[in-house]
Amino acid sequence: MESDAQLVVHCLRGDGPAWEELVRRHTRRVFNLCYRFTNNSTEAEDLSQEVFLRVYRTLSSYRPAFGGFPTWLTSVTRNLLVDHYRRSRRERMTDSIEDMMPVIEEKQSSARTPEKLAHASELSQQLQRGLAKLSPDLREAVILRDLQGLEYNEIQTVLQVPEGTVKSRINRGRLELARILEGMGFRE
Amino acid sequence: MNWNCTQTEERLSEYIDGRLSQMEQAAFTSHLATCPSCAQLVTQVSALVHRMHALEAVQAPEYLSAKILDATLGPRKPKAGWDKWFAWLPNLMQPRFAMGMATVAASFVIVLHTAGITPNKLRKQDLSPASIFRAANREVHLTYAKGVKFVNDLRVVYEIQSRLQPEPQPSAAPVHEPAPKEQNPAPGTNPQEKSQSQPGHSQIHTHEMLACLLAQTDFTETSR
Repeated sequence: MESDAQLVVHCLRGDGPAWEELVRRHTRRVFNLCYRFTNNSTEAEDLSQEVFLRVYRTLSSYRPAFGGFPTWLTSVTRNLLVDHYRRSRRERMTDSIEDMMPVIEEKQSSARTPEKLAHASELSQQLQRGLAKLSPDLREAVILRDLQGLEYNEIQTVLQVPEGTVKSRINRGRLELARILEGMGFRE
Repeated sequence: MNWNCTQTEERLSEYIDGRLSQMEQAAFTSHLATCPSCAQLVTQVSALVHRMHALEAVQAPEYLSAKILDATLGPRKPKAGWDKWFAWLPNLMQPRFAMGMATVAASFVIVLHTAGITPNKLRKQDLSPASIFRAANREVHLTYAKGVKFVNDLRVVYEIQSRLQPEPQPSAAPVHEPAPKEQNPAPGTNPQEKSQSQPGHSQIHTHEMLACLLAQTDFTETSR
């Protein structure tokens, strides 16, 4: 099986099947990140598509020196999610001064049953609700570390923040999430 | 080195992720030994982290990759080669589909049989619409004629039965003797069954009645 870096080289030469393989290999990762972040499967689908469109256009800017392809893909996804978050917050601000989080929760109820789609367990759903209550900075740190399995230095690359900030966000995010889940009556 | 609760809480994730130096780890654990609330917090957060790590990634919808490929590469040509033509074959193996096909096949056999077509003797000209229609038409008429014959036979039997009803003990023999042309006497319509309980009349009288009745019945139609 070819490595991601090799596939990227083939893609840049205009090899369609190589791009197809790259997409199939990473769709799940990108969709997961988007879904965990937005808590809405429809939105996650649209965002995943947007991510790959962006990747397709900017593939030539990928350097293996940057880190693995998944890390690069994660940063593209994360940047797009931040844009999306800002955009939806701005839209929301014109209506009312409510925070982003209640928006996410409202959307969840009108969304296409993500539970069915994701076969989410009870824990997954609880976690999803808990994550939605975290501030975006902490949420993305926890998602990248604990749900996407990225290392601290990879998260540093993705978020473009100092190592100390990464550590602090991961730690605060986990503590906050544990408290939120406890408040929701979640027991181990 | 002794850590307080704030320090312990700040370094909690690094402890869980195994990123503390040996000295830091020693300070961390020694604080936990003396502080039950911090120990409880560590247990709680560790459990959460382990659960999250064990959590399976959500499944992306199956069509998503195809949608992305369409958006990036444009609508693609369907797969070339023979694979595409036989891609539907594995679906035939599904039990539900196989059962459906078996039912359809059985229906065809019944229809063909009714239309008088036997696969063994099938000739080319049998397949022309005109001959199929002719064969079906013939079958329908034959079936109709058989039905008419059956009804007529029944009528004869019932009439005999009704005439014989007041009779005392008619035997089965006289009923069958004068009607040798009856090919399909309906089962369960033997006059003996009903008339057994009524005693009285003589055998001669029965013969007369039957002769009279048979004279009235037109057998030319039924024996065709």
